[in-house]
Amino acid sequence: MLSEERRNETVALDGTASGRLARPDIRSEFGLETMDMNMGPQHPAMHGLLRLILELDGETVMRCDPVMGYLHRSQEKIAENRMYPAVVPMTDRLDYFANIHNEHGYVLAVEDVLDAEIPPRAEYIRVLMSELMRLASHIPSIGFLMLELGAFTPILYAFRERERIQNFLEAITGARMMFHYFRIGGVKADLPPGILEEISEYLDGLEGRFQTDTVDLVTGSEIYVARTKDVGKMTPEQALDMGVTGPPLRGTGVDFDIRRDYPYSVYPELDFDVVTDDAGDVAASYRVRIGEVWQSIRIIRQVIEKMPEGPVMADLGRRLRPREGDGFGRVESPRGEFAVHVVSDGSDSAYRVHYRDPSFCNMQLLQEVVPGHYLPDIMPILGMIDPVSGGWDK
Amino acid sequence: MEFLNFLNQEPFRFLLAFGVVLFLTLNLAAILVMGERKVAGYIQLRYGPNRVGPRGLLQPLADIIKLFTKENISPGKADLWIFLGAPIAMFIPVAAVWLVIPFAPGAVVADINVAILFFVAVTSIGALGVIMAGYGSRSNFSLLGALRGAAQMISYEVPLILSLLGVVMLTGSLSLVDVVNAQGGGFWNWYVVLQFPMFIVFYISALAETKRVPFDLPEGESEIVGGYMIEYSGMTWGLIQAAEFAGMGLMSGISVTLFLGGWQPPLEFLDLGQFNWVWFGIKTALIMFTFQWIRWSLPRLRMDQLMDLGWKVMVPLTLVWLVITAAAMLVF
Repeated sequence: MLSEERRNETVALDGTASGRLARPDIRSEFGLETMDMNMGPQHPAMHGLLRLILELDGETVMRCDPVMGYLHRSQEKIAENRMYPAVVPMTDRLDYFANIHNEHGYVLAVEDVLDAEIPPRAEYIRVLMSELMRLASHIPSIGFLMLELGAFTPILYAFRERERIQNFLEAITGARMMFHYFRIGGVKADLPPGILEEISEYLDGLEGRFQTDTVDLVTGSEIYVARTKDVGKMTPEQALDMGVTGPPLRGTGVDFDIRRDYPYSVYPELDFDVVTDDAGDVAASYRVRIGEVWQSIRIIRQVIEKMPEGPVMADLGRRLRPREGDGFGRVESPRGEFAVHVVSDGSDSAYRVHYRDPSFCNMQLLQEVVPGHYLPDIMPILGMIDPVSGGWDK
Repeated sequence: MEFLNFLNQEPFRFLLAFGVVLFLTLNLAAILVMGERKVAGYIQLRYGPNRVGPRGLLQPLADIIKLFTKENISPGKADLWIFLGAPIAMFIPVAAVWLVIPFAPGAVVADINVAILFFVAVTSIGALGVIMAGYGSRSNFSLLGALRGAAQMISYEVPLILSLLGVVMLTGSLSLVDVVNAQGGGFWNWYVVLQFPMFIVFYISALAETKRVPFDLPEGESEIVGGYMIEYSGMTWGLIQAAEFAGMGLMSGISVTLFLGGWQPPLEFLDLGQFNWVWFGIKTALIMFTFQWIRWSLPRLRMDQLMDLGWKVMVPLTLVWLVITAAAMLVF
């Protein structure tokens, strides 16, 4: 057991000193000495370069401090020194598993300060891309959870779907990972001919495969239920206090989705439901993700049906010089709320750019929720957040 | 060939047979690794290894050459004797139990009259190897893995032994040769029919004893990254892997011997005489395939759930079934 002085030490920034207990009500059961353990940053299940400082009493975790910064690239500072359009490819490097949403958030913020009008076809293409990206992020995240629970096969089935969606994204944008497709004022290029029919055909197949290979295979498994039920349980108040957004928040029963509550792009014209669940545990957040996959498929079908003709790029002039002031863009990324705040001083590069990344903000729940759980439960809880290294470190 | 007659006399016969069994065990491990990767490949809709040799069949050879040429790294703070002794302590018991398994009529290295007791006693030494590996490595991850392994292997020994007792009661003998002989005359005489719940318990305990998914907590690659074997490299790691895979083959062989009639053919007219080891091989391969099937399909349990399953479900079940077996033997 820790001595009283050690427990009252403040958390050192580099995490080397043993910090205070995040949950002082949890004590070693038998009054025995606890074990400090470093998990990561080189750890196969850490979603990238995350380091967790754990204090273990046997298998019970008593303290869990995440240490971030191993992938820090000064994205916000770099954004101050580049002209507005040149920041879009940088945002691709934030949450690299769902980069379309980063681009979307950034261009929304700049268009806000520019007061730009976007052609409707461009808006529809943006929604199409966002929802394809959401599929390509949600389906593997269910596979990641199973990988962390010890089953290796579902991730490969999931990546088969991501791979096919990436083929579409590649056909549309010309890149597989770092798209740089959204531009301030529209999108880079029009859709290639025939792609909408191909996507619609693919979705017909996906519906069946997702049901059999993922929903039935995963949620029907007795061991999966035993491992995820009541693990990482949060109350809605706790989740709101910690600023949790996205599937973990909706898993606690809070009905909040940026797409519906702070509508952007053409989401108000589309018909979709916000999926919620009351349990507030890991299983609930995954039920939300599965529900959102069905909703995304629904949205894409509507977009394909309603896709208008016309230009895909507004004429904003060669050099972008917004008025002095603030621009704000927030989008519902697969992990939660991704928001960008751009402060313009009237020159052709931003005075300040701030990214609010859901991977970073949701990480707070580790300190609060993990203590008291067993060591292997950390992995499903991390899977519930589904953080991305580029997102939390910027 | 008369000058080879001395091989048929006692210590030589035993030593030769032991050498053959050891050779087969090591080869079995290599082939099982290959089989595991192929099975995994087909379950995951890919080919698996297919580059080395025809259809990738020489892959185990390449793996072994790679392991032998790799450097053995031991952690600076490791307790070297314990660290290096652990793989041996894990491998020897597994190889030793093969000595008492009858492969075909008359083809058993040592027909001892307490073979089942020998199996139980020797396999429990394997837990010692896990503890040695975890303690000797001086690593937090290893220690956690070793503690998990010790708890798991000792807990599951209990249902494993209890599930054997039904067979022992029906046969009235602890010799595996007697057990197999008692199951002759068609597949309805195999003990899996009379002792089906015990077979299930034995199978699950065997999974846990060999640390296979869904009971691979001592390895727990997503949280403790390999557990007790995290610090091993090169051939020491290879020996641990060989022990694990040979252990899997051993458990399959034992369950076939006890519950699936050993080398007995499923129907009388399929009797191959001396070549009945083919039946033993087919049945063992089938059981090993189910092990691999489970390995690539299921996620892992948590320690508390594992203990609950062992002590609260399987031990009471075996005890109840033992009473039922005893009552049935009294009545019939």
